[in-house]
Amino acid sequence: MRIFNRITVGVAMLAGLGAAAVAHAGSHQYGPYPASYVEECGSCHVPYPPQRMTQAGWETQMNNLQRHFGTDASIDASVSKAILSYLIANASTKEKSAPADPTARMTKTRWFIKEHGTTPPQGKSLSNCSVCHTQAEKGDYSERTLKTPTGWRHAD
Amino acid sequence: MHKTQRLRLRTITLAASLLVAASLSQAVRAETPQSFLDEYRQAAKAQNPAFKGFSAAAGESFYKNKHGGDWSCASCHTDNPTATGKHAVTSKVIQPISPIANPERFSDAAKVNKWFKRNCNDVLKRECTPEEKGNVLTYLLSVK
Repeated sequence: MRIFNRITVGVAMLAGLGAAAVAHAGSHQYGPYPASYVEECGSCHVPYPPQRMTQAGWETQMNNLQRHFGTDASIDASVSKAILSYLIANASTKEKSAPADPTARMTKTRWFIKEHGTTPPQGKSLSNCSVCHTQAEKGDYSERTLKTPTGWRHAD
Repeated sequence: MHKTQRLRLRTITLAASLLVAASLSQAVRAETPQSFLDEYRQAAKAQNPAFKGFSAAAGESFYKNKHGGDWSCASCHTDNPTATGKHAVTSKVIQPISPIANPERFSDAAKVNKWFKRNCNDVLKRECTPEEKGNVLTYLLSVK
């Protein structure tokens, strides 16, 4: 029966991924994300908005999950394929969101650096969006829910 | 069709649908910490005929040891497995790893296998043995 379980999960997941998140330019609203994306890519960090990196960046991420910034983040091949399709379908096409380093860190893209100004890293990285974007977990990065740290200023 | 034939056919159909229903209910049956322990015990015995049983003490030292690397299980799950943890790199909140504090833990084989594979790789640079998994789970269940 395991195999049927797998198939059911697979079908349900594809259906979920098919209903890709609709993001409107400028609204900074990227959720809701498909359940499987949240499950697989939102356990160790918030699920990042697919719209904030280009296809090349997502391909680099998804092809190197076994060595994902110092941790093994590998996932099932079929799930991984479905998630990559979702990311590509919603990826940015702008040059400023293209990967700028070999590991395709979103925080190194031109867009990210410009937008985030003097944001200090929390712990070891800038990966914890929720510190300032209080509703990042839900894909809400609007100004309304943003709490910038004291003394923060926009990059020049 | 003869009456008795029809009746027999109906009985067969009913039996078949009951069988399908029974196997379906088995398919959705969730695993429990105990069923994982049973599975690990069987696998540990198969690997090592001298295997005597799991030890919470061995599990605790395994859980808190860095095994020559940067991280232990406790680096993210904290020294107290019933407490809320924090990812060592991203600082994201991690719900308690203890099945006593968090009933969602050790209830789904796919998740358990996925996380043991990833996290053992992170901490030990290899997969964990069934004996190590059983020791850790025994330890987790011993902390109330």
